[in-house]
Amino acid sequence: MVDLSTISITEKAAEKVKYFAARDNMETFGVRVGVKGGGCSGLMYNLDIASEAQPNDKIIEEHGVKIFVDKKSYVFLAGTILDFSDGLNGKGFTFHNPQAKTTCGCGVSFSA
Amino acid sequence: MERSPLFELQRRMGASFGEAFGWELPWAFSNVLEEYETATQGVALLDRTYTGRLKATGKDALDLINRLSTNKLEDLSQGQGMSTVLTSNKARILDFFVVLRLDEHLLLLTSPQNRQKVAEWIDRYTFLEEALVEDITDTTVMLSLVGPKAPDLLKELAGMRLEGLSLYHWINASIGEVDVMVIRTDCAGVTGYDLVIPANDGERVWEAILQEGSDLGVKPIGMETLDIMRVERGVPLYGRELSEKINPLEANLRHSISFNKGCYIGQEVVTRLDTYKKVQKHLMGLVVESDTVAKPDAKLMMDGKEAGFITSAVRSPALGKHIALAYVRSAHARAGVKIGVASEEGEVIAEVVELPFSS
Repeated sequence: MVDLSTISITEKAAEKVKYFAARDNMETFGVRVGVKGGGCSGLMYNLDIASEAQPNDKIIEEHGVKIFVDKKSYVFLAGTILDFSDGLNGKGFTFHNPQAKTTCGCGVSFSA
Repeated sequence: MERSPLFELQRRMGASFGEAFGWELPWAFSNVLEEYETATQGVALLDRTYTGRLKATGKDALDLINRLSTNKLEDLSQGQGMSTVLTSNKARILDFFVVLRLDEHLLLLTSPQNRQKVAEWIDRYTFLEEALVEDITDTTVMLSLVGPKAPDLLKELAGMRLEGLSLYHWINASIGEVDVMVIRTDCAGVTGYDLVIPANDGERVWEAILQEGSDLGVKPIGMETLDIMRVERGVPLYGRELSEKINPLEANLRHSISFNKGCYIGQEVVTRLDTYKKVQKHLMGLVVESDTVAKPDAKLMMDGKEAGFITSAVRSPALGKHIALAYVRSAHARAGVKIGVASEEGEVIAEVVELPFSS
């Protein structure tokens, strides 16, 4: 059941965020998600492990991990589930966004 | 309707006015044949203040606009510029404009009717980037010097030899004791330079040009002559050849597309159309074989089926004929094809030619 009022993170993705933060010896951390213009369909996803939130960020917490998202990106990401797939055919961090109307052939860009 | 700060001065000079792009503009100062000769043999002065001028500041502005348009803007150094197409995700043309790199910011020269659309589009795709767009059209004036003697005139006015200034490169100069930005743009398809001037100094520079350039025969010209010149040289105009129904490959804008720069909005569609040769129509020239002036939007017919449409039509002094720019379906888009043009007098025959027209 998609909750369009928030952004969620799966347990697997949360564990991966914690792994990267520990690897970089970060005392405080969160995962910054956002949207960037460009990419063949119009928008691209941005993901970063950040030490703290920015002043106007929305902060969501799940599975022990904070998600930081700027307000403008949040409009396009509401309802998104951040997941992680590993292994040989794994794509790494992936965004499942119910708002994405079209995507490009390489899967990197979307429009909403 | 908008007016240039030089409107009153031009009215006093006897210009006749007309409307284009939501502006009241000088249509002609003398007669078309005289103005045409001045612009193609000597040097002519044009007021192109109606062109959109947007100032983009912020360290991410160049990267952002690079991601939203077709050309490789990341290659630009200070003093350089390039043309680029702002495309939708379906590779339709939102605008065709020039980006100039200055020391602390970028200057965008947009189509006149699109300056707000371009600013809003860039803002829409600005998230965490440090990038801000400001419309400076109302605080500046833009005058153009066009014709083969334009470099000679600039040497007299500004003491600089500018023949070697490459297309869309720019320098600072002083004309009539006013600091102006001189940009090589060849706007009508002939040698030409745009001068960007603070609005309050527009009249002063206009008068300095006419006075100091009198020995070179510089004269002001209007929109009617400009339109004839750009049609003869196949220069597309937004609202005629360019619109959100057209993609850049159809419109002969290949020179403004980078095929190796990576992602931008619409990139996949442009590449696919190009790779699989799926471009369905091409911008071509038409020479109309009768005295009828073909009209914009007139349909083209081949064997009873629609084969395209006209976008602009003028009478060419150089060719002594009626000519047009038209989108022609790919199957017929080659020189020598005879095609029917629907007109009030019935169908007239035109010959498809490559652009630019040659006399």
